[in-house]
Amino acid sequence: MKKIKLDITVNGVKHSLKVDPNLRLLDLLREELDLTGTKEGCGIGECGACTVILDGKAVNSCLILAGQCAGREIVTIEGLSDGEKLHPLQQAFLDHGAVQCGFCTPGMILSAAALLHANPAPTEDEIRVAISGNLCRCTGYTQIVEAVQAAAGKDKGDWWLQI
Amino acid sequence: MTLKYIGKDITRPDATGKITGRVQFLDDIKLPGLLHAAILRPDCAHGRILSIDTAEAEKLPGVVKVVTGKGCEMVYGDNIRDLTPIAVDKVNFIGQPVVGVIAETLAEAKAAVKKIKVEYEPLPVYTDARDALKKDAVLIHENSGEFWHLPGIEPIGGTNIANRYTVKKGDVEKGFAEADEILEGEFNYPFGSCSAIEPHGSIAWFHEDKTIEVWSSSICPFIIREEVARVYGLPICDVRVHIPELGGCFGYKSDITVEQTIAYLASQVPGRPVKWVATRKEDFLSTLIGHGIRTRIKIGAKKDGTLTALKTEILHSTGASADTGVHVLIASTHNSTGTYEFPNCFLDGYSVYTNTPPVGAFRGYGHQESHLAMERMIDILARKLKLDPFDLREKNYLGPGKVTALGETLHTTNGNVRKCVEIVRRAVFSAPKAKAEDENYYYGRGFAALMKSPKGAPFSSKSCYLKFNRDGSVCINMGGAEVGQGLRNVVRMVAAEALKIAPERIRVYTEIDTQFSPWEWQTIGSMFTTQGGRAVVRAAEKAIAELKKTAGIVLRTEVDRLDYDGDYVFVKSDPTIRVPVPELGRGYTFDDGVTVGDVVHTTADARLPIQSNPDENGQGRMGITYTFGAQACEVRIEKKTGKVIIDHFASSFDVGRVINPVQIRGQVAGGVMMGVGAALHEELKFDAEGKALNPMFRRYRFPTIKDAPGRQTIEFVETPGEIGPFGARGIGEHPVVGVAPAVLNAVYDAIGIDFYEIPLSPEKILEALEKK
Repeated sequence: MKKIKLDITVNGVKHSLKVDPNLRLLDLLREELDLTGTKEGCGIGECGACTVILDGKAVNSCLILAGQCAGREIVTIEGLSDGEKLHPLQQAFLDHGAVQCGFCTPGMILSAAALLHANPAPTEDEIRVAISGNLCRCTGYTQIVEAVQAAAGKDKGDWWLQI
Repeated sequence: MTLKYIGKDITRPDATGKITGRVQFLDDIKLPGLLHAAILRPDCAHGRILSIDTAEAEKLPGVVKVVTGKGCEMVYGDNIRDLTPIAVDKVNFIGQPVVGVIAETLAEAKAAVKKIKVEYEPLPVYTDARDALKKDAVLIHENSGEFWHLPGIEPIGGTNIANRYTVKKGDVEKGFAEADEILEGEFNYPFGSCSAIEPHGSIAWFHEDKTIEVWSSSICPFIIREEVARVYGLPICDVRVHIPELGGCFGYKSDITVEQTIAYLASQVPGRPVKWVATRKEDFLSTLIGHGIRTRIKIGAKKDGTLTALKTEILHSTGASADTGVHVLIASTHNSTGTYEFPNCFLDGYSVYTNTPPVGAFRGYGHQESHLAMERMIDILARKLKLDPFDLREKNYLGPGKVTALGETLHTTNGNVRKCVEIVRRAVFSAPKAKAEDENYYYGRGFAALMKSPKGAPFSSKSCYLKFNRDGSVCINMGGAEVGQGLRNVVRMVAAEALKIAPERIRVYTEIDTQFSPWEWQTIGSMFTTQGGRAVVRAAEKAIAELKKTAGIVLRTEVDRLDYDGDYVFVKSDPTIRVPVPELGRGYTFDDGVTVGDVVHTTADARLPIQSNPDENGQGRMGITYTFGAQACEVRIEKKTGKVIIDHFASSFDVGRVINPVQIRGQVAGGVMMGVGAALHEELKFDAEGKALNPMFRRYRFPTIKDAPGRQTIEFVETPGEIGPFGARGIGEHPVVGVAPAVLNAVYDAIGIDFYEIPLSPEKILEALEKK
C-alpha cells in the first residue's frame, strides 16, 4: 500500500511522516510516536479510552484516520503537563480520588479538558454530558465529576490551550 | 489507639503516573523481535472439528506460524484440570481458541485469520444449566469424572455436573416442621461481564535457554508461573512472570486463562516473544464471564419471625470449563443464608457445564447472586407474616455467638451489622415516604443487609519484603496486584503507621515480577488489606526488632530497654541516649570502621489464620474474616417508560478501620455503580445456538455516567477486626452485594410487583404494570 505524506502537530511538536492511508490516529500516536498514554479499550468508539484533543475538540482517535489529521493539531495526555507542573485537571483528579486503575483516566481528563477549554465554568450537567462518552468501571463517576468541578475556572491559559 | 497516618486522605502513590499517561499497561510493552497473535474463534458453540484448512493463511505476507490444537495433549487448571490451551478435536463455547496465527504485525495476523476455514459437526448446545442437566443431555466433557481436581471438589461422572457442593447444618426437615410459614421462590442472576476498560492480554517468550517469560494483565502471577512450569515440565524457577500496570480487574483477570493459550502459541516460535491483546469482543467471550446463577430458595419461619429452616438449590451455568467457576458456586452456596442465622440448613449447589464462556470470579464472588434471593425473600416473608421487614431481620441477624451455615461461630471482631443497618435506615427511611406517586413517577424505597465471607485456600498467603535504606527511607515489595483498588497506598500507609515513618519516605513496588516479588497466592477475595496489611505489620515489627538489636550493641545495653520512634532508637529511661535510624540501616559502623549488626531487611507473610477444606457436611473454616454491611435506596419509576431512576443510594459497611477515606469512598461508589449496572442494565446474552448477542459495551449496556445514582451516602462502622492491620477488614467486593435486592425491594415498594430476576429493564416493568 502506498504511503501518504502527513504533516501533523502533536503536543506542540511538528512531525512530517509517511503513513499507511488506513492507519488510525490511535495507532499513529501509540505505535509511530510512542505516545502510549492514549489507550484502546474497544476500537469502535464506544469507550472513550482513546480520546485525544483534535483542534480543541475531544475525539475518539480509534475512529479517525491519521491521514484526516493533516495540518491539524493534536493534544494527548502526554501534552497536558509540562513534565513538572500538572494541569489543574490532573491535580484535581489526584486530590479528589478520581483515579483508580488509570486506564480510562487519560481519555477522561482530555474530554474534561476540551470541555473546560470551550466552557471554563460548566454546570454539573454539562460536565456529565461532556464525559458521557468515556466509560469508567472503577469509580462510579462520582469523584470524577467532583474533580472536574474543582478544576473548573482554575485554568490559567496553559500553553496547550492556546492552540 | 492514636494513629498518625491511617485514616488520612493521603494521595495514592500510583496516581501521578496514571494521570500523566506514563504508567505501562500490557499493550504498551514493546520487546525486541515482538510478534503478534490473532486467534480464530468458532462460529459454532458446540461441535466436533471435522477439518481445519490453514493453507491460504500460511501463504500470506508476514505470517510466521499458524497453530492448531492438533496433537495438543496439555490440560491445565488450578482447581479442576478441564482446560486446554486451544481446541483439540471439539469446541465447547463460542469464544474458544481454535487456530492461532502468529505474524510480524497484528494486521497481518488478523488478515490471515480470515482465510482459515474450519468445518464443524454441530452438537446440541446448552446455554443454561437446567438444559445441560436433562437426562438425555450430551456430555460437554465426556471424561469429566476423570479430571484431576483439588480435594473437596466432587464431579459427577457421566453427567454435566462438574461439582456438587452441599452444606448441612442441623435438621432441615425438623426446621420446616417447626415453621408456621414456609415460603419458596426462584431467582436468576444472569451472565455478566467484568468488562474492565483495559482488555485482558498476554505476552509469552520461550527463550533459547529453555526458560519461559510471560507478561500478563493478570492478578495471579504465581499461579501462572506454577501452571506454565508444570505443563512444560520446567522447574518453577525457570518461568518468570511480569505483571505491568492493570487497567481494572473486578474478578476476571484472576486464575490462569488466556496465558496458557498464548504460551502454547509462543512455544511454536521459540526465541521470539508473542503478544496478544483481546479485542473487546474477545474480552467479553474468550476470557471469563460472571454469574449465570439460579437460586431456588425455601424458607421456614415462626409467626414471630424466628427463622427455622433454609433450603437452597444453587444451579450454576458454569460454562465450558469449571476450573474458575467451581469456587464461585461454593461461595454462593454457603453464603445463601445471607446475614441470618438459620439453625437448620440444607444448601445444595451444582456447577454445571454449559456451552458458554467459562464463568470465573466477578466482584462479589457468588454473594450477590444468593443475596438477591435471600434479601428479596425476607421482604416477601415479612409481608406474609405481617411484620416490619426491619424487625424480621433484626430478630435473625448473625453476630457474636451466632453460628454460620459453615458452623463457624462469629465474634464481635467480625463487625456489627446492626450499626450498618442503623446508618442506612437513617439515610433513607428516617421520614415517611414523601409520596407514593405523582403524575410522572412511582416512588419506592428498598433495603438489603449483607454478609461477605472470604474465599481462601489453605496456602493463601501474602508476603512482604521490607528494606531500610541508608537514609532511613524504606522500600517495600509485595506480590499483591494493584488493579486500581489502591492496594499500594494501603501498603504504604500501613507501613508508615507501623514504622512511624512518613509515607513520603516509603516507596512501594510498581510492578510484580516473580523473579523478585515475594510470593502471593493471588490478589482476590477482598483479602489484601487484611492479609497483606498483616504481613506488612509483621515485616515492620521484625525490622524494628532488627534496628533495636544493632542499637543495643552500639549503646551497650539490652534490647528491652530500648524504644523506637521512627527517627531514633533510644533508651526508654533516657531518650537522649540514642542512635539515629539511618545509621542502623546497613549495620552500624563505628568511627574506627568496625561494623556491627546486620542489614535491616525483613520478610513476613500472612495467610488466613484458620482455613480448612469442607468436611462431610460441607462445613469448615473460612478464616473467620466475615464482614457485614447494609444498603438501601430511593428510586423513582417513570410511568411512561418504565425506567428505574435511583435518586439516592446509601451504603454502610463495618470495615473495622478506614485506612484512606477518599479511597474507600471510591471503592464503594464504584462498586455500587457496578451493582446498579447488574440490577438494571447488564446482561451478556446468548441465543439458543450459544452465539453471543451483545459482546460490546453499548449493546451490553455498560453503565455510563447517565446511569449513576443521583447521590450516594457512604458511611462506615469501625469495629476493629482481630486479623487485619489496625483492625481493618476488606471492602473491595462488598459494595456490589446488596445492590440488586435493595433496588428490587424498592421497586416492589413503588409499584407492588415482585421481581425475581435481573436486569430489570424498562420493558419488563412496563409489561408487569400492564398485567397488573
